[in-house]
Amino acid sequence: MATQRVLPQSKESLLQNYNKRLKDDIRSILDNFTEIIKTAKVEDETQVSRATQAEQDHYEMHVRAANIVRAGESLMKLVSDLKQFLILNDFPSVNDAISHRNQQLRALQEECDKKLISLRDEIAIDLYELEEEYYSSSCGQWDGVELPLCEAFHRQDSWGSSSTTSDPLHPNTEDSDRLGTQESLQRHLNGHGTNTTEQS
Amino acid sequence: MANDRLRQLEDVEKEIALVLQSAGTIVLELSKEKANANLLDRQLNQFQTSINRVENELSAQIRYLTQVATGQPHEGSTYSARKDCQMALNRAEYARVKLGELARTCEMMLDPQT
Repeated sequence: MATQRVLPQSKESLLQNYNKRLKDDIRSILDNFTEIIKTAKVEDETQVSRATQAEQDHYEMHVRAANIVRAGESLMKLVSDLKQFLILNDFPSVNDAISHRNQQLRALQEECDKKLISLRDEIAIDLYELEEEYYSSSCGQWDGVELPLCEAFHRQDSWGSSSTTSDPLHPNTEDSDRLGTQESLQRHLNGHGTNTTEQS
Repeated sequence: MANDRLRQLEDVEKEIALVLQSAGTIVLELSKEKANANLLDRQLNQFQTSINRVENELSAQIRYLTQVATGQPHEGSTYSARKDCQMALNRAEYARVKLGELARTCEMMLDPQT
């Protein structure tokens, strides 16, 4: 509790310090500039000789100009401190920045995953075709342990159509239908339908 | 937005430079034998406008910070979203690598002489 009471006071005193620096620097610039303009006025009557007065005025203007520049530098340092304070302590804008960044990252992640899923779907279609070709040829006999994709689709369709059709023992017509649709789909996707038939 | 406030503070820095520049131009013009009154007026107006703008802008920023600042550190983070995005990019990279291997295998099968 004691530490919590100390921190806000230091923030308050810091901001009061910023205010004071701002007022002092602006006052310094205005006063010094006004005094330079006043000193620039040529006076006829002087207490010392003209040369001495001129030398004194020259030195005074030099010092006041240096004061103006110092006040300007101090104002720049104040602006830098305010920027730092703003970045660390302006919670509304920090929250905005965090939520904006989160949105960007989530959008990128969703786009990435969407593209991966569409890629998976396309490859699944191609894999179906390839497995059907492979397992229907003489070299690809499956032992029933690992179900190839094409056989899984055959079985699923035969289970689904057994209630509607009266001939579940004729998969060839279903094959040719599916091949026809799959071939047209494959040709649409990558145009390699004729190549796979040539290779077998 | 933070960017607006930071941009305003950068404009204030340019105004401070304008203040010093116009003060120097006025003194330079006064040092000549025949000073141009119009230029002096313009530069003086510029000086007064700029210094008022600097003071008002910085006071407004300090007032805003007095209202908004607390003593606590901000504990927000984008770590979880960043991690999820990184994992998605890793998944995509892994898929790319695997497809590359598959393509190389297919090429080797088609053309075993090379």
